[in-house]
Amino acid sequence: MKQAGNKSEAFSLKTRIKRLKRDINKWSVLTLTIVFFLALPIIFIGVELFSGPGETWGHIVKYLLPDYIWNSFYLVIVCSFLVLIFGVSSAWFVSRYDFLFRKQMEWLLILPLAIPSYIVGYAYAGIFDYGGSMDLLFRQLGLEFIRIDIMNRAGLAFILSISLFPYVYVSARAFFLNQANNLLEASKMLGVGERKTFFKLMLPLARPAIVAGLVLVLMEVLNDYGAAKYYGVNTFTTGIFRSWFSLEEPQTAVYLSALLILIIFTLILFEKWQVRKIKFTSSKTNSTQIQRKEPKGVMQWVIFSAVSLPIILGFILPVIQLIYWAVITASTVFDMEFIMISLQSFAIAIVSAIITVFFALLLIYFSKWSTLTTIKNISRIGVLGYAIPGAVIAIGIMIPTLALDKWLINMLAKVGVDSGLIINGTLIALLYAYAVRFLAVAYNPIDSTALKVDNSIPDSSKVLGVGNLKTFLKIEFPLIKTGVFSAVILVFIDVMKELPLTLILKPYHIDTLAVKAFEYASDEMVMEASIPSLFIIFTAMIPVIFLNKLLIKK
Amino acid sequence: MLTIDSLSKSFDKGKNFALEDVSFNLKAGQVCAIVGESGSGKTTLVRLIAGLERPDHGSITMGGKIIASLDKFVQPEKRKIGLVFQEYALFPHLTILENVLYGISKLKNKKTRAQEMLDLVGLGNMGSRYPHQLSGGQQQRVALARALAPEPSLLILDEPFSNLDTMLRTQLRNEVFDIIKKTEVTVLFVTHDTQDALSVADEILILQKGKVIQKDVAANLYVKPNTLYVASLFGSTVHINKNLQNAFRCPLKQDCCHAIRNEKIIVSPSSAEADCEYITAARVIKKIQLGDSTQLVLKLESGEQLTVMTQDQNIADTIYVGFNSKDILEFEQE
Repeated sequence: MKQAGNKSEAFSLKTRIKRLKRDINKWSVLTLTIVFFLALPIIFIGVELFSGPGETWGHIVKYLLPDYIWNSFYLVIVCSFLVLIFGVSSAWFVSRYDFLFRKQMEWLLILPLAIPSYIVGYAYAGIFDYGGSMDLLFRQLGLEFIRIDIMNRAGLAFILSISLFPYVYVSARAFFLNQANNLLEASKMLGVGERKTFFKLMLPLARPAIVAGLVLVLMEVLNDYGAAKYYGVNTFTTGIFRSWFSLEEPQTAVYLSALLILIIFTLILFEKWQVRKIKFTSSKTNSTQIQRKEPKGVMQWVIFSAVSLPIILGFILPVIQLIYWAVITASTVFDMEFIMISLQSFAIAIVSAIITVFFALLLIYFSKWSTLTTIKNISRIGVLGYAIPGAVIAIGIMIPTLALDKWLINMLAKVGVDSGLIINGTLIALLYAYAVRFLAVAYNPIDSTALKVDNSIPDSSKVLGVGNLKTFLKIEFPLIKTGVFSAVILVFIDVMKELPLTLILKPYHIDTLAVKAFEYASDEMVMEASIPSLFIIFTAMIPVIFLNKLLIKK
Repeated sequence: MLTIDSLSKSFDKGKNFALEDVSFNLKAGQVCAIVGESGSGKTTLVRLIAGLERPDHGSITMGGKIIASLDKFVQPEKRKIGLVFQEYALFPHLTILENVLYGISKLKNKKTRAQEMLDLVGLGNMGSRYPHQLSGGQQQRVALARALAPEPSLLILDEPFSNLDTMLRTQLRNEVFDIIKKTEVTVLFVTHDTQDALSVADEILILQKGKVIQKDVAANLYVKPNTLYVASLFGSTVHINKNLQNAFRCPLKQDCCHAIRNEKIIVSPSSAEADCEYITAARVIKKIQLGDSTQLVLKLESGEQLTVMTQDQNIADTIYVGFNSKDILEFEQE
């Protein structure tokens, strides 16, 4: 063996640089370009921080910021508590016990995800209002109506929890169904009782899964604009809107956005820390499903009520209220304009779903082909948009694109062309924002199906003389089709439901169902908001059921 | 035909090396087996040669051209290497014929060529089936036909038989190498099974912890193993450590490692009958019948334990055991 010291030489700086030169390819460059493109809104918020805060910043810090922080803190704590109770208990009961309508309830528990929180908020406002459904019901029964005021912070926490708990339910249930059986049997063999098994074994083991669901909930809580606005609670998101639209102070919006991003990254770090602290190796080959028990006596009713309560509160009640309103307002709301808005909404959702999925595919495969591990790690940055609230992304896109538009108008004016805003006020900015925000929604299902395709499959295609792109089209794409399809559907629903980002970035003459519902509600016409709301719910419901089927198949 | 020169690869930036300073040559038309335990770097080595990994150091030259080095890298699709994966890696959504056609789509007579290859592996009438409709052995042969179809200058088989049970394995191994012999292609054959290697390879390369321990023809590996590890790979071997040297009163060279083949150890009822230079009395503490031979666990006079094999069925409780100096294998200290 010649060349002694090969080992140390292989990782000397000189050799590393040589290898970098050899290994960097067009895919590395393209991956970096896409990541940069996706991270741009956040980068701009960072850059804009250096131009100093707006005039009212001092005022906001003194009078409003404590309110924003305290309200957000309150929502995070109360929602976490409620969501954990609803989500974990229902997940455990449907995984461990067999009871009346268990199968139906298993997927009904996911349905609250089909209703955007702000719409649940409108429905509950109607239920508890003076002259609302409760009031009517009590009067019919000849009873005195004790009014519960829910248009406040506590009410908002309830609304957000009841509409977002399925995130925790889904991830906890996936754990209980797929991972828990061996442990459960072991615990039983050791003679440990049911309650102790749950609290001492199942709950601690499921913690990473539960925390992952919880972090998703909290991101949505901090992202919410519609419900907080309607319930009159000042949060970071409403603050961003106020500084942008009422105070017309982009700088202040930027500072609030930066603070919000900071809070969210703290949450993400918390999740990572939680998961790392207890990194359980889950056996992937564990195919045995949990054996369900039949509860006896009173327990039967306790479990039945515990599982049906979140379904009634999160789905059935609000939908009944909305249908009731829809019947009343159908004649005034349902017209040609409404049909046009629905069609626009669908079209925008489909186009942005396809664009987003396309970018997700590019990101996944370009980084794979780039062969540099550093590039693969960097590519994960592109997925972070999901953590960033829609309003923040919108601000991050508004600022640079407005500047770019100004420059374009000037340039065109020089050659004698008179143009309006080219990027802002057109669909380009909106579609770009959706792609940034929902990339992770498309990325995850595609990535997980792609992982199931053994590397040897594309490898053998390459060894047979076929390049990356052709291998993708002929071999990999046909094998990951289902993942791509579910990615399109998931992004489609999210775009249909999206409100804050759409409100800021939508072109003047274009409306979506979500925006229409919000506008009705803001104009004291909450009843009229019911029809666009129901349209959103029903389009979102079909795929939610489809998603559940996929989960069961898993 | 293929020259590997001081090839190194690490998957954790130099902390551990999957492959360290590996060099060897392969002549055209040769069948070379790469033998090693799992984790010895066999798969990494063939992936580097196929172009599915990039070397951290060293170079690979094929047919006189550098295909991988620190400043050059030829894409796998340009290398003209056939590779049969351990898990076959057939494209599940394509038929058998389409699988074989895949690598030769630019050929004029591709249909005839593909059919020829399927006939060669004895699956000529199964072209329209899908991979999941075939047995493991049949899938294996399709993978072989697919790899051979583009007439590669080098064929790599990565643990091709490890997913099969023992009976099928021997049969398929012979079939596959009969087919390969007809094509006269140069072959690199990765296996952890020495029987596989011995039965088909012209030369065998032993990898241990990412390093080449020995590369030689099969007979030499048995007679002149480089290390104790190689010796024990090709036949059961007893390491003559310090205690055994004392037990047999055979002072051996210091700074060296010594061993003896199990079949060279002589077991005899009396010291007079045993014709060996080093001998000691021993008590049989355990007898295990293993079909046609018997395994004996012995307690030597010195108190040392030793396990030996014997064909003798009638063993007394006290026996003599010994060996001759010409049978002792000597290696440099590991």
